[in-house]
Amino acid sequence: MAEDDDAVFRALADPSRRRLLDLLFERDGRTLGELEEQFAMSRFGVMKHVRVLEEAGLVVTRKDGRSTRHFLNPIPIQLVADRWVDKYRDERVTALVDLKTALESRQEPRS
Amino acid sequence: MSADTSTYQPAAIPDEGTATQVYRIVIKATPQEIWDAITLPEFTRRYFHGAAITITPDGYASFGPDGSSWGDAEVLEWDPPNRVVHGWKSLYDPTLSAEAESRVTWEITPDDDGTCLLTVIHDRLEGAPRTASGVAGAGWMGVLSALKTLLETGEPLHPTFAGEQA
Repeated sequence: MAEDDDAVFRALADPSRRRLLDLLFERDGRTLGELEEQFAMSRFGVMKHVRVLEEAGLVVTRKDGRSTRHFLNPIPIQLVADRWVDKYRDERVTALVDLKTALESRQEPRS
Repeated sequence: MSADTSTYQPAAIPDEGTATQVYRIVIKATPQEIWDAITLPEFTRRYFHGAAITITPDGYASFGPDGSSWGDAEVLEWDPPNRVVHGWKSLYDPTLSAEAESRVTWEITPDDDGTCLLTVIHDRLEGAPRTASGVAGAGWMGVLSALKTLLETGEPLHPTFAGEQA
């Protein structure tokens, strides 16, 4: 795993891979078999997606006796967010988000 | 996707999966630099919530900025600059310190491009659910990204930590 924003974005650009991350977020440390049974696709298909997540550093595997467990590693997402979100989090953007929040909250009935 | 998610039923598996957390980060530094940053208090102060942590073959000791004990545990494996395993008990909070001791493993794996993979495995958390949720996600993530920033730029991520040294 190298540090590679492109790999992280590519990995996140697929709904099956995001679902894999959500499954691990819900309960970490699943085996490939446990992940696979949540999908209609072939074992090979799930393996391929897991591999892409591993290469992006989003999933880390550990041996546990005879099984291999998969763990969600949130750090690459955090680092991408730090680099990208911080860059654009200036006053103009914040002002627009505040405006959006203010306008949208007005749709709530006032008591 | 949303229909899929709503029909999803968790499978019954043993708990050891959830009692383990794994974090991995790429750091542009040598194994020795990372090792020093993990085991010497003058470094840990600058990225680990201000804690002065000393890890030696004889033990693990952590002190908060006010000098109170934040952690005191055995060192289970000592293999510089590759791997160190120590016990973990969060003494800074009475609820957390009442929980069973868990275990933290640090693994440093050099890559061929001048970077290292630093992997932190926090496991044996079965008897420490509050500690587990306390260190989860933002906890270890914050510590490790601050460690990366410190080693790659020489600047602590949170300037207040550096201030506390003075």
